Amino acid sequence: VKRNLFLKILFSYLIIVCLSFFILDLLIKDEIKKVMTDKIEAELLTYAQLIDLNSVQKMSDQFQQIARISNSRVTLVDSQGNVFADSEKDITKMENHFSRPELQEARLRGKGKAIRFSQTIGVDMLYVAIPMKSGSQITGYIRLARPLHDVQSMIEKIYQSVFLAMMIVAVIALIIALFFSYRLAAPIRAMERFTERLRQGHPVGTIFLETSDETEKLADNINYLVDELQSQIRLANEEKSKLMTAFASMTEGVLILNAEDKIEFVNQALSNMLAEQYGDINSKTLMEAFRDVELQKAFLKFKEKHDTVIEEIIFDSVEPVILSVSISSVHNYPEEEKAMFVFHNVTRLKKLEKIRVDFVANVTHEIRTPLTAIIGYLETIKAGTANNIDEMKRFIDISLKQAQRLNRLVEDLLVISKVELGELGFRFEEISLRNALEGVIPLVEAKARLKNITIHNKVQENGAPIRADRDRLTQILVNILDNAVKFTPEAGSVFIESEQKDNYALLTITDTGIGIPKEEVQRLGERFYRVDRSRSRDLGGTGLGLSIVKHLMIAHGGKMEIESQLGKGTKVSLFFPL
Amino acid sequence: MEERRHTSSHYEMELQEIKNGLIYIGVLTEKAIKTAMQSLTERNSDIAHRVIKDDDEIDKKDTELEERCIRTLALRQPTAIDLRFITTAIKITGHLERIGDMAVNIAERAIQLNEEVKLKAYIDLPRMAELVIEMIKNSIDSFIRNDLKMAEGVRQMEEVTDDLNEQIFRELLTFMMEDSQTIHRSLMIMQVSKNLERIADHAKGIADMVDYMVTGASVRHQAYPSEEKESE
Repeated sequence: VKRNLFLKILFSYLIIVCLSFFILDLLIKDEIKKVMTDKIEAELLTYAQLIDLNSVQKMSDQFQQIARISNSRVTLVDSQGNVFADSEKDITKMENHFSRPELQEARLRGKGKAIRFSQTIGVDMLYVAIPMKSGSQITGYIRLARPLHDVQSMIEKIYQSVFLAMMIVAVIALIIALFFSYRLAAPIRAMERFTERLRQGHPVGTIFLETSDETEKLADNINYLVDELQSQIRLANEEKSKLMTAFASMTEGVLILNAEDKIEFVNQALSNMLAEQYGDINSKTLMEAFRDVELQKAFLKFKEKHDTVIEEIIFDSVEPVILSVSISSVHNYPEEEKAMFVFHNVTRLKKLEKIRVDFVANVTHEIRTPLTAIIGYLETIKAGTANNIDEMKRFIDISLKQAQRLNRLVEDLLVISKVELGELGFRFEEISLRNALEGVIPLVEAKARLKNITIHNKVQENGAPIRADRDRLTQILVNILDNAVKFTPEAGSVFIESEQKDNYALLTITDTGIGIPKEEVQRLGERFYRVDRSRSRDLGGTGLGLSIVKHLMIAHGGKMEIESQLGKGTKVSLFFPL
Repeated sequence: MEERRHTSSHYEMELQEIKNGLIYIGVLTEKAIKTAMQSLTERNSDIAHRVIKDDDEIDKKDTELEERCIRTLALRQPTAIDLRFITTAIKITGHLERIGDMAVNIAERAIQLNEEVKLKAYIDLPRMAELVIEMIKNSIDSFIRNDLKMAEGVRQMEEVTDDLNEQIFRELLTFMMEDSQTIHRSLMIMQVSKNLERIADHAKGIADMVDYMVTGASVRHQAYPSEEKESE
């Protein structure tokens, strides 16, 4: 920049110098020439007059002397134009001079002059002529001629001085140019370096200039802009990181389509929801990425309506996922409309909804069955249609049994809701599994003996104690052992074993019972869920036993796992934290 | 300049829309085949009726896409690969429409088969259907991504479906020879298999056109045995 600026200033000065030289040349050269020529002419005329003043006779003797004094060539011509004397040339070789312009002019006006290029000596010659008169009769002409190289050399001399002056001016211009370019370029260069660093994204501070001219003001403005820019960038980054954090921590999936309908952004939640199945979906279109007709339809609907669209879509993956999708527009510029998709996984919600609806239906059903029986028998008794006291007693027995069942059901429901609400008080203590089992097994032994089932308790005496609530633990074990005995046919066996696994004490109860179909296993633990409805109710269950166990295990910080093979038996694993 | 950029990006969008439309129809046909086969294996005629009804949508989308292609051809007058892209797209949607019809054929056979006693457990047919669905998906994907390798993969899969068809045919032949009661059912199962095999041919046809579109040279009509048999 400095060089450029320097050259620019220097050149402009040089152009001014050259221009003035040229104008000077144009105006002065001719003027000097004219003045000089006029002066010579007047001088020559004076000398010619000198000759004229003398008589004709003396003339031919004197003209040599005049020629010498006047430093010119003198030619004497008669009225006919014949040369009769010349100071420098042989007159015999000279032609008639009558037609020469200076003689003609002298003849007509009394004096004449002409500038001609002389072939003989090769320079411009000034010729001056006056007529010689006797009375009014022209008797001849006197012509004086002098080469003009004096004028030329004079002009050259002047030009030399002018040129010298110009050189001096040029040198001065160079110095001034250097000075100004340095003065101007220094701040400009500083600002240039500063902005260059800014452009490359390096951190910059502020630029200080003390030139007290326009450049200082410019630097101030640059500083202001830099500050403004940096605060804008900071603000934008802050907004962006806020947004990104929000997107990243959302449980909803977020997807943004750019104006070309290509996927521009997908948040972590959506990647987790779908990634394994769909792979890399960036910069693909919706159709390419998801191959889902419903989603595309929803998107087309959004494009048509230009308003938020909310749809529920079932994605066919390994397990169908129900997603609620809301599509809305992200306005940037009017011509560049982006669309934001928010995916909400409602599969669990839908499932819960179904469980709740099922639960109400189940509870109603479970309560109505014993109630119908009770009401029926009581009505029979009231109508007095019972034949004898024995029959009536039987009716009352049945009613009582059903009422007890209702009571059990209500109690179980209470326990479940209390566990779920966390209102059930637990008194945790260290309990040996062996001890707990020894308290529980007698409770189911009677029933087992009836069906000739043997219970093998293989739990070691010295196993590590677990942390549990004694009453609840009893409830869990009774439930599981009761189930095992209940669903094991005659002459089967139940094995109870314990081991330590990871951070858990694992208690497994294995029976040789009827087992559960594979696809039903995962539904065990749902309230009122029964594998075989009719049989289970015959056996006196409420349908809540495993559900209670499941919730109690969770409340203990443990878990329950069930494996089963149809017709071979079931294995219940209880994990108690140590 | 600004206007030009705008129109050219608009043009890009039009091509993109054609791509999306093809995937859309592709997904619909895949679903139709899947549902038709499901109706067969689960002996559920209700969903088969749905396949027959939903074929109208495939036909509608086919017409829509064809019109879109022709409009783009007329308005944009594309050259070179874009021209081949659009003309190929028109042909592909034709293939897909035919595939949809075949899915309907399968659904109709399924309804008939569901009314009779189950002949045998379906093992090879669902495998073939899965293969065929993947072929449709891959053939369209290869078209959209200009992926010659993927198109080649589709052609190889077509040979597998041919073999499977042969195998099913031989198996059914033994059934028919053992017991003439099974002839009706066997023939219908054979038709299902044949339809799947023809769908595979169409998928191969799409894959062949991908070669044409990318290179400009035609590889069609070199090996089309089943198509020839059909015309006899």
